Amino acid sequence: MEPLTIDMLRALATDRGLALTDAELATLLPLVNANRALLAAVPPLGDVEPAAQYRIL
Amino acid sequence: MTAPALVWTSAVELARAIAAREVSPVEVVQAHLDRIARLDGKLRAFITVTGDAALAAAKAAEAAVMAGGPLGALHGVPIALKDLVYTRGVPTTGGSKILAGWMPEADGAVATRLAQAGAISLGKLNMHEFAYGPEGVNPHHGTPWNPWDAGAHRIPGGSSSGSGVAVAAGLCAGALGSDTGGSIRIPASLCGITGLKPTYGRVSRAGVLPLAWSLDHVGPMCRSAADCALVLRAIAGYDPRDPTTSVLPVPDYAAALTGDVKGLRVGVLRAAFLEASDSAVRGAVEAAVEVLEGLGASATEVAIPRIDLAAPAVAAVLSAEAYAYHEDRLRTRSADYGADVLERLRVSAFVSAADYLKGQRARALLRDDVDALLANLDVLVCATTPLAAPAVGQQQATIAGAMVPVRPNLLRFTRPFNATGHPAASVPCGFTAEGLPAGMQIIGRPFDEATVLRVADAYQRATDWHARRPPLGAD
Repeated sequence: MEPLTIDMLRALATDRGLALTDAELATLLPLVNANRALLAAVPPLGDVEPAAQYRIL
Repeated sequence: MTAPALVWTSAVELARAIAAREVSPVEVVQAHLDRIARLDGKLRAFITVTGDAALAAAKAAEAAVMAGGPLGALHGVPIALKDLVYTRGVPTTGGSKILAGWMPEADGAVATRLAQAGAISLGKLNMHEFAYGPEGVNPHHGTPWNPWDAGAHRIPGGSSSGSGVAVAAGLCAGALGSDTGGSIRIPASLCGITGLKPTYGRVSRAGVLPLAWSLDHVGPMCRSAADCALVLRAIAGYDPRDPTTSVLPVPDYAAALTGDVKGLRVGVLRAAFLEASDSAVRGAVEAAVEVLEGLGASATEVAIPRIDLAAPAVAAVLSAEAYAYHEDRLRTRSADYGADVLERLRVSAFVSAADYLKGQRARALLRDDVDALLANLDVLVCATTPLAAPAVGQQQATIAGAMVPVRPNLLRFTRPFNATGHPAASVPCGFTAEGLPAGMQIIGRPFDEATVLRVADAYQRATDWHARRPPLGAD
């Protein structure tokens, strides 16, 4: 997974309705990329289903 | 009993003495309120003290005792609630500025159940803002002071920081906390008290501000396992307002506290747990395991094969759920959040739906791993936190010869069991050279809190770490 750039993060933030300054985006960028890297490092999970599932009863 | 003796008396003993008319609930509540007035200016454990209401409840409790009617298991026992439990007519802030002045129209389920058991609330306890942090700091209400260091301001651990401090300092006989990544067990460990995160679904979350719905647990924080057993019995059980609660019957946890652990099979989590702990903490836990062996339990070294899934699973699930809850306010009230929580919530905004489901899938595998270990063992044990309480503001610490960041390491040993939902307790098991408490975590099978508490209680019958008093306010 490619790290986000600051322009990509700005676009995503705008999409979410978050008005962030350049300084705020610069602070968040390494944290967001670290989070993404953590999740990208998860090995293939096979056919396991999510722990939370909808139940009608 | 004298006032100093009352504030250090266990919830179990207070309930017995009140029922036996040996002490009045009014004396008990007044002793705790006096202590709060004397110490909480520095400790900052409480956000709201409901002294008048507590005294009125104590007088009613005294009248009930004198009338000779049936009494609840916690009749007259002074407790306090983390300030995310809804309390009718009493401010419930979540430790935030955003909810300042908000008064719920109804009590949360656990507040109702504690009142039905006769407990008397002294007020609402400080916490990490919106429960989103393991340090327990708070920029709006002041950071609670860990009473084990009277000179330096050390973190109490969070997010239930006020609960940890209030119980440790004798401001209440017991408290409720909530635990999404370790928020009961971390402050229990750092403040030298006993805390239990029950199985997911054992205790209702209805009327409790959420951090992450599928990871949140509500549980007791007390000075002993026996007190936790008493409080858990009062709050546990099915609640139609929380669809995740179980219909399984609630056992008599106190009856399970036999002191006998002979033949119990204990799995010691060394890889990724004890091996990643500070030497003083590791030594304390290893000594505790020897105590359990001396009591007749057998210990085996075990490992959770896919433990590396815990961090990403919890990160994805917690982030996504927390962001979903705060989404609107992040757009409209961002200036009112504290800096650290605002940053965490903003980072959470960039977790995708696929990431969230990856976390939920990883979580299922981790649960399977822990279930597999517990198929042949009765409990698992490890340290609760890899280090004792750092100073407020301390970002790095040395553990096993390496400089590591404090925040993720505080969560490292507790969050796996939020992901899996297994019950897990923290009990005091020793002190560092600086006089700071260390905690041992005991993890059990789903809905087998009774065994977790039995092990904790047996350990506490054989040791006195849980009975020691912190230097700040010791008398």
